[in-house]
Amino acid sequence: MSDLSQLKTLSRGKKPKIALCWCSSCGGCEESVFDLAEELVDIMAVTDIVFWPAALDAKYQDVAALADGEITATLVNGAIRMEHQEEMARLLRRKSQWLIAHGACAHLGGVVGLANFHGSADLLNRAYQEIPTVHHPAGICPFGEAPDGAGQVGKRGFYETVLPLNRMVAVDFYIPGCPPPPELVKEGLMMVLEQRLPPAGTILGKRQALCQSCPRRGSLPETLRLKEFSRMHQVTWDAAACFLAQGIICLGPATRGGCQARCLQGNMPCRGCFGPLDLVRDQGAKSLSFLASLADSADPEDLQRFADSIPDPGGLFYQFSLAASLLKGKADDQKNNH
Amino acid sequence: MARIGIYICECGPHIKEAIDLGQLQNFGQGLAQVVFAKSIPVLCSPEGQEIIGKDIRQQRLSRVVVAACSPKEHEDTFRKIVRQAGLNPYFLQIANIREQCAWVTADKQAATDKAKALLAAAVKRVIQHEPLETQEIECQGDVLVVGAGVAGMSAALLLAQPQRRVYVVEKSPCIGGKAARHAHIFPHLECGSCVLAPLLDEFLHHEQIELLTLSEVQGVAGFYGNFTVRIKQQARFVNPAACVGCGLCLEACPVRVRNEFNEGLEERPGIFLPYTGVLPPVPVLDKKHCLHFRGQHCQACREACPFGAISLADQDRLQEINVGAIIIATGFDLFDLQKAPQYGYGRMENVYTSLELERLLDAAGPSGGQVLLRNGRMPERIALVHCVGSRTARFNDYCSGVCCQYALKFAHLLHQKIPGVSLIHFFTDLCLPGKEGQRFANRVLRLPGLELRRLPGPEALEITAAGGKIAITYQDGEGGGEGVEVDLVVLAPAMEGARNAGEIARIFDLPQGAGGFFTEESNRLAPVATARKGIMVAGCAQAPMDMASAIAQGQAAAGMIISDLTPGAKLALEPVTSEIDAHLCSGCKICLSLCSFQALSYDEVDGVAAINAVLCRGCGVCAAACPSGAIKAKHFSDRAITAEIGGLLSDDRF
Amino acid sequence: MTVFEPRIVGFLCGWCAYEGADAAGRARKTYPAHLRIVRVLCSGRVDPQFVLEAFRQGADGVMILGCHPGECHYKEGNLQALKMTAILKKLLGQCGIQEERLRLDWVAAGEYGKLVKIVGEMVEKVKSLGPLRLREDGGGINSALTRH
Repeated sequence: MSDLSQLKTLSRGKKPKIALCWCSSCGGCEESVFDLAEELVDIMAVTDIVFWPAALDAKYQDVAALADGEITATLVNGAIRMEHQEEMARLLRRKSQWLIAHGACAHLGGVVGLANFHGSADLLNRAYQEIPTVHHPAGICPFGEAPDGAGQVGKRGFYETVLPLNRMVAVDFYIPGCPPPPELVKEGLMMVLEQRLPPAGTILGKRQALCQSCPRRGSLPETLRLKEFSRMHQVTWDAAACFLAQGIICLGPATRGGCQARCLQGNMPCRGCFGPLDLVRDQGAKSLSFLASLADSADPEDLQRFADSIPDPGGLFYQFSLAASLLKGKADDQKNNH
Repeated sequence: MARIGIYICECGPHIKEAIDLGQLQNFGQGLAQVVFAKSIPVLCSPEGQEIIGKDIRQQRLSRVVVAACSPKEHEDTFRKIVRQAGLNPYFLQIANIREQCAWVTADKQAATDKAKALLAAAVKRVIQHEPLETQEIECQGDVLVVGAGVAGMSAALLLAQPQRRVYVVEKSPCIGGKAARHAHIFPHLECGSCVLAPLLDEFLHHEQIELLTLSEVQGVAGFYGNFTVRIKQQARFVNPAACVGCGLCLEACPVRVRNEFNEGLEERPGIFLPYTGVLPPVPVLDKKHCLHFRGQHCQACREACPFGAISLADQDRLQEINVGAIIIATGFDLFDLQKAPQYGYGRMENVYTSLELERLLDAAGPSGGQVLLRNGRMPERIALVHCVGSRTARFNDYCSGVCCQYALKFAHLLHQKIPGVSLIHFFTDLCLPGKEGQRFANRVLRLPGLELRRLPGPEALEITAAGGKIAITYQDGEGGGEGVEVDLVVLAPAMEGARNAGEIARIFDLPQGAGGFFTEESNRLAPVATARKGIMVAGCAQAPMDMASAIAQGQAAAGMIISDLTPGAKLALEPVTSEIDAHLCSGCKICLSLCSFQALSYDEVDGVAAINAVLCRGCGVCAAACPSGAIKAKHFSDRAITAEIGGLLSDDRF
Repeated sequence: MTVFEPRIVGFLCGWCAYEGADAAGRARKTYPAHLRIVRVLCSGRVDPQFVLEAFRQGADGVMILGCHPGECHYKEGNLQALKMTAILKKLLGQCGIQEERLRLDWVAAGEYGKLVKIVGEMVEKVKSLGPLRLREDGGGINSALTRH
C-alpha cells in the first residue's frame, strides 16, 4: 500500500470527488471509515467528499445535480431492502466512475440478509407488534394500511427480499467484512486515488481461505473426525488451538482470508463475514459440505446427532451471505402450499 | 465461441420410433453455438463414424455432441473418432437418449421433451469441457514381493523376466511358507514338499529373483511406479555361499530350545535348520538363545564348521530398493486358542492344532510321522473339532473354507496310520466346495469307526481333562447335553491374517477387514488389487483359501503388474483426475482424510494440499468437500456440472 | 388448469445407479420422464452447491443415487453423500423446501427394478408437494442492471 503523504502530489489540480452511502446496514461500515483516524484527515485533504450522510449535510438533490460520472468513486455500504436505497444506489451508480460495495451487507446481503428467512409481513409484525420490549398498543406499522384509512403507507418502499448491491447495480469491486478492517477500506480508497482499478468483480482480501493466515493453523490435524460439534459455552477450549480440532465450528476453511484473523485473535471462531472464495458460488453450501465431511460415523442415527449438533445451519452457514446464496432465503411459503 | 456439431443416432428403429427426431433436430439446431444437428441411421457404424470425422475437419467443429446410446456403450468409440479427427477426445459429450430416454418412456412427446433437455444439457456441458491429456511418467519395472509362501513365490516366478528384477522379502529363514510343511495335500494326498519341489527349486535359483530371508520391510515411500522400500535383514551368521548344509554346527551347539518351525513339538539347537528338507538348506543362528550372544564364550558352531561359513560378527543389514509395484503375500496364522479356553488347548497335552498334526503326520517331521500320545501310547479314540473360532460372532464370523476338507484328510490319514482308531467329527455344517470336495468326503465318510456329531453351533462344546483322558461335553442337534471321552483332540482353528498383519497394514497403509486380512479393492472385480494403487495382495493375506487359490492369486497379481508396468516403458496416467490450484488452497487439510487412495498429501513447505495424479482416481469427493473451491474434478468440474444442470432444466424456455 | 409436471434432477453414480438406469432401459422398464440424469463418477462428488443449483434452476426435486454402503467404487464416497445429505436436508427445511424434495438412495447396477420404483415414488411425492417456488430478487423498481 502506498504512503498517504504521496497523495498530495497525485492530486495536484482537481481533487477527485468521493461519495459514501449507507443503505441497509448497522453502521459498522461507517465506523470502519472513521477508524482510519488521522489517515482519514489525509484522505479528506486530497479528495472532495460530495456525499456522506453519516458525516456531511449533503442531500439527494446535490448528487442529482452532478454530471454523470462526475464522482470518481462511491462506497456503498448496506444491502438493498428499501425503495429509496435502490433509488440512491442507481443514482450513485450513474454519477460515479467506480462503485464499490463496502462491507458484507453490500457485498453479500450481510446479517440483514438473514431477513430473507422470513416473509416481509412476518418481519413487520414481529418488529411492530410482537417484540416483548416494545409497548405499542396502537400497533401502528409504518408500512401497510394507514390506521386512519388514508390508504397504503410506504408499503411500496419495503421489498420482499433483501438484495446484495450487485443485484441492483453493477459493482466494480468489493471491500468485504463485517465490518471491513480499516486497512482494507484504506486499500480500496488508495486504489481509487492512485487510479489502480482492479479487474471487475475483484474482492479485496486474499484469494485463499482464512486458514492460510490463521494464527492457530499449526494445530490443524490431518485427519479430523467428530461425533458432534460443541458450542463454545459447552466446553473448555484451548485459546491457541484450531477451533475445529476442538469440535467447535469455525467457518475459516470456507471464508476468504484477509481480515488478519481478528476474530480468532479475539478467541472467537470465524463466522464467514469475508464471504466465499473466488470459485465458490455458495458459501453456505461449501461450509455445509466441509463440516459434513468431519462426521465420524456413517450410521444414520449418529449422523442425525451430528446434524442436530448444528442447531441452526441456515443461520450459521449463511450468517453473512444468505441474500447472495443460491436459494436467496426461504422459499415462498404461500406459493409452495398450493 | 464453440462450434458444436450435434449427431443424433436413430439407432435403427430404437430411438427413431420412440422420439420425434425431427423436433429434436430442430431444437438442437437452435441451441447456442451449435453449427448443425444431424440425424444418422446408425452412428456407431463405420459410415456414421466417417461422417463425424469428416465434419470435424471440414466444418472446423470444436466440440461434438452425440445423442445416442449410453456413454457406457460407445463413449470410447466416439472419443477415438474425435481424437483421430484432430480434436481433444474430451471435447465430446454424449446425451443418453436411448437407455435413459427412448427405452424407458412410454409417451413419445414426453420422450421427445426429455431428449431435448438431455441434448440441451450436453450442449451446455460440452462448451465447458477442457482438453485433457494422457500424461506419462517414468517408472520402475522391478517388483517387491513380501512373503515367500506359495502365493508370493508363484507371483515372483511369473514376474521375474530378463528386464525385471523381483525382490522377495521373507520374515523367516526359509521359503515355502506353511504349505511346505504339509506332508499330504488335499485331495490327492501328495506329499507337499514333493509337489512344491519344482516351484521352490526354480524360485531359489532364478537369476532375477533376489531372496531376502530374515527380512522385514520397515518403511515404504512413494507410489505406484516408484516406490522406495526400506528393508531390514537380520544377520543369519551363516554365509550361504560357503555353507554346504552338512549340519556339523547343529551337532556342536550346546543349546536346546523348542522348535517353532515344528510347532514346538521338538527341540532344536541355537543354530539350526528349521525343519528337515528346508530351503534354502542353510542353518540360521538364533541370536536370542545363542550362548555367545548371551555373554558366554561359546564359539562351538564356528569351530565345528569345516568351511568357515559361520561368522559371529555378522551384522543386521539395512537397504533401500526401488520398485514399481508391491505384492503382499504374508499368509495367515491360526486363531489364537488362548482366547477360547473352552477348547482346552495348552492345558491338556493331547490337544493339538491342525498345523501341529500336519507336522506329526509328516514322515520327516518331529515324530517321524507317528501320531502318538505324549505317554507314547497309540490313541484309540480321536476327536476332530471343526470351526474353532470361526463362524461365531464371538471371534470370527467367517468360514475359513478349508478346514472341513483337511479335517476329512486327517480322518483318512489317521485311519491309515492307526489301525482300528475311532474318529469323531464335531461339526456344525460341512463345507466341501469345488470339484473335489464332495467326492473326497464321500470316500472318507464311509470309513469304519468314523462318527459325525452335529452341533447346533460351533461353540456348543467344551473340552476338559478327565483323568488321563479328555472329556468332551457338547449339545446334540436337539439341544440336549451329551458327553464323550477321547485320547486325542485335533482342533481346526480359524485362519486369520498373519499375526503381524497390523504392522504390515501400518507400513503399507493398507486397510484390514475381518480376521485381520487385507481388504481387496473389490471382492468381486478386483480381488487382488487394494485401495493403494500398485500394491496387490495375494493368497491367505487377503482371505482364507487353499493352496491352489493362493497360487492363482499370486499369479493374478503378477499378471496385473505385468500388463501395466513394462520395464523401460512409461506409465500412462488416467487423465480424469482431480487437481488442486495451489494458489487457491488455504491448507485447511479438510480434503486429506477424504481420499481412500492416499492421493492427497500436504506440502509442509508451501502449506498447501497436493494431489498425486498417479494415485488419484478422479472420484471428485475431495472437490465436493473443498471449502475453497480450490480442487477441480477434471471433466466433472463445477462448471461442467452446473452447465449440465442448467441445460436439463432449460425446458421452460423451449 | 394445467397439470403439474415436476422436474427432477438426478445425480447418479456412474458405477452403480447410472448403470442401473441403463439396465432399466435395456429391460424396457418404463418410468416417468420427469427424471433428468446427471452422471457423476461418485455420489460423493455431489457438492451441495449442485443440489441448490438444481433447485435454483427450476428443479422441484433432486435425487442422489449411489452405491450401497460398503460397495462404493471409491470405498467411501457414498458415505460422504450420506453425511452431506443429513445436514443439507435440515438446511433445506429451514429454507422452506420440504426435505422430501431431496432423496438419497442406493441403487446397485443390477437393481433397475428398485430404480424404477423409487423414481416413481419420487415423482408422486413431488407431485403431491406441488411446484417449488424459490425466493426471487423481485420487488425492485427496475430489475435490469444499470451501470450509468
